[in-house]
Amino acid sequence: MKLRAELAIKCATHESQTESRNHSIMQYNGSAIVAMVGKNCVAIAADKRLGQQALTVDMDFEKVFRMTDRTFIGLSGLAADVKTVHDTLRMRVNLYKHREERVIEPKTMAHLVSHMLYERRFGPYYIEPIIAGLDKDNKPYICATDLIGCLSLPEDFVVTGTASDNLFGMCESLWEPELEPEDLFETISQALLNAVDRDAMSGWGAVVHIITPDGVITRDIKGRMD
Amino acid sequence: MNFAEMHQPEFAQAPATERHSHGRWEPYVDNGGTSLAIAGSDYVVVASDARQSNGYIINSRYSPKAFQLTNNVILATSGYAADAKRLVEVLEQNSQMYFHKHEKPMSTTATAQMLSNTLYGRRFFPYYVFPILAGLDTEGRGAVFAYDPVGNMERVVYRAFGSAAALVQPFLDSAVGFKNQRNADATRLLDREQALKIAIDAFTGAAERDIHTGDWLDIYIVDGNGVQHQKRELKHD
Amino acid sequence: MDRYSFSLTTFAPNGKLLQIEHALAAVGNGSTSVGIKAANGVVIATEKKTGSSLIDISSLEHMAMVCESIGMVYSGMGPDFRVLVNSARKIAQQYRRVYMEDPPVRILVKELASVMQEFTQRGGVRPFGVSLLLAGVDERGPSLYQVDPSGSYFPWKATAIGKNMVNSKTFLEKRFNGDMELEDAVHTAILTLKEGFEGQMTENSIDVGIINVIPGSQSGQSNPTFQRLTSAEIKDYLSNIL
Repeated sequence: MKLRAELAIKCATHESQTESRNHSIMQYNGSAIVAMVGKNCVAIAADKRLGQQALTVDMDFEKVFRMTDRTFIGLSGLAADVKTVHDTLRMRVNLYKHREERVIEPKTMAHLVSHMLYERRFGPYYIEPIIAGLDKDNKPYICATDLIGCLSLPEDFVVTGTASDNLFGMCESLWEPELEPEDLFETISQALLNAVDRDAMSGWGAVVHIITPDGVITRDIKGRMD
Repeated sequence: MNFAEMHQPEFAQAPATERHSHGRWEPYVDNGGTSLAIAGSDYVVVASDARQSNGYIINSRYSPKAFQLTNNVILATSGYAADAKRLVEVLEQNSQMYFHKHEKPMSTTATAQMLSNTLYGRRFFPYYVFPILAGLDTEGRGAVFAYDPVGNMERVVYRAFGSAAALVQPFLDSAVGFKNQRNADATRLLDREQALKIAIDAFTGAAERDIHTGDWLDIYIVDGNGVQHQKRELKHD
Repeated sequence: MDRYSFSLTTFAPNGKLLQIEHALAAVGNGSTSVGIKAANGVVIATEKKTGSSLIDISSLEHMAMVCESIGMVYSGMGPDFRVLVNSARKIAQQYRRVYMEDPPVRILVKELASVMQEFTQRGGVRPFGVSLLLAGVDERGPSLYQVDPSGSYFPWKATAIGKNMVNSKTFLEKRFNGDMELEDAVHTAILTLKEGFEGQMTENSIDVGIINVIPGSQSGQSNPTFQRLTSAEIKDYLSNIL
């Protein structure tokens, strides 16, 4: 205990205050979100835990949102900002629909989110979103951004949240190209469940959405409740 | 918070000059790297990458951190390379002494207990090492022992430690432990080809994402016939 | 002097805002511009009028690209046009800044029209003395819009604005058909201008801009691009007419 207390003091004096605060804010509520590309389909999955550090507060907390028929966004990070950004984005997507009389494409939404986040460059929302969807040609689209909106556009999978390292390890080993919807479901579920089981901050069940040209399949999956 | 997390940001990330400018002596460095072991019914597979780094600097592309002790026991390490080297020397000396005294090689389980005692002997100035000890037990079954730096010991079927442990361990939970698979027999042990393939897959993935893991992969397979070693290539970037 | 004609924001008893009527009169005095939407693109064209033969007519610009996929021409007051070009370009870039793609033509037109509307209501300003024709291509295909000083806007298949607009529109009504290809449309646009043209029409005395739909370009790599025809290209068209 003494060693730990000393270290806490060291951390406070050595690191700049914002740096140590950013670190803890992103880990405060806990989350694990992952999206994967399949053959003519994409999947996005998230855990359900909401915590206040080690204390679990909610076991059915929504972190993945259906913004259009076939575009989903997953928001990890500070729960207050998850809600705020989701509400703001909902407003922007609705305004877009009314103004342009068309549904926003996943790529366009990604740039909109990126823009929204960079507007708060020096007082950021403490979230790291990932977006998954099918575009108008049924082409899969996934992307991730950091908390100030820097987009990254890989062609295989994206991960975010406190279990991101674990998810990277799982996805790197389990993912393969051209997975059919049911195989993609198995892959993303295994990746998420085993990742959250080694992360104390996330877990307590999960939700998986498989987006296909014919519609969206949503499944709640049980996991370890500890 | 475990030992590594408490020390890593302090020791590994701070550049050397900054450490000295504080005028305080820092006895530990995190040299990165990852080790894992998987036990089977009559064999054990041990794998460690060979990169040794300090922050963003690569000290060595082939600096093995898995060692064959005097008998058919493999010690795979991660953490501070200098401490690991010293620890291996101590273990080798002690098991040599055991051999002279008892006129027989030390068993895997005895070595495992000795390692725990050696680590706890330095309870207040620990070896900054996360050891995985692997060999065959007296019944000829694969045995893997995992430790924290102060000697807390656990016999397990599989374990990963080191800079990519967060990436590899969940994968082993899935592929070796059959976790979260309703219809699978969780007590089933893999055959050696499967275990070898999973070890290689795990490191290919880890080398893709963890900058401290890569270059070369040392693999030891221990079975009734002795120890077999192979060296494989990993990503060099 | 009519007491309703002074204040920009005072309705006359007949329900009109006289300053806007005057602005439309300024447009009516301006050189004619025509626009035609073809099956595979849009053309806009205008006369370049000069008061003096000493002016270097070849370097006069009566037409502007707003963004890659949208071009714009005017009838009325040149300086007012340039202000609107700046606004339009800024609107397009602001849209790009948010969505990383060009605005659909309708969106740009609405935004630009709302700028023009604001200048009919705000204090200390006057309405713009121009009508605009905007030609563009977006995911819905080609489109042609007219925007007036009042901020009203209209989607057209083919239209004309400026001095000869009545005659030109009658001409277009006879000549236009929906299956027209862009080549044909350019031809017809030049013919329409020629109808009311004073003096000899040369490759330097008109401005022509085109944008064509590239098949499969919505999801493809190359985007539709608005281009002003070079004087050599215009000369080719003119030689076919004569």
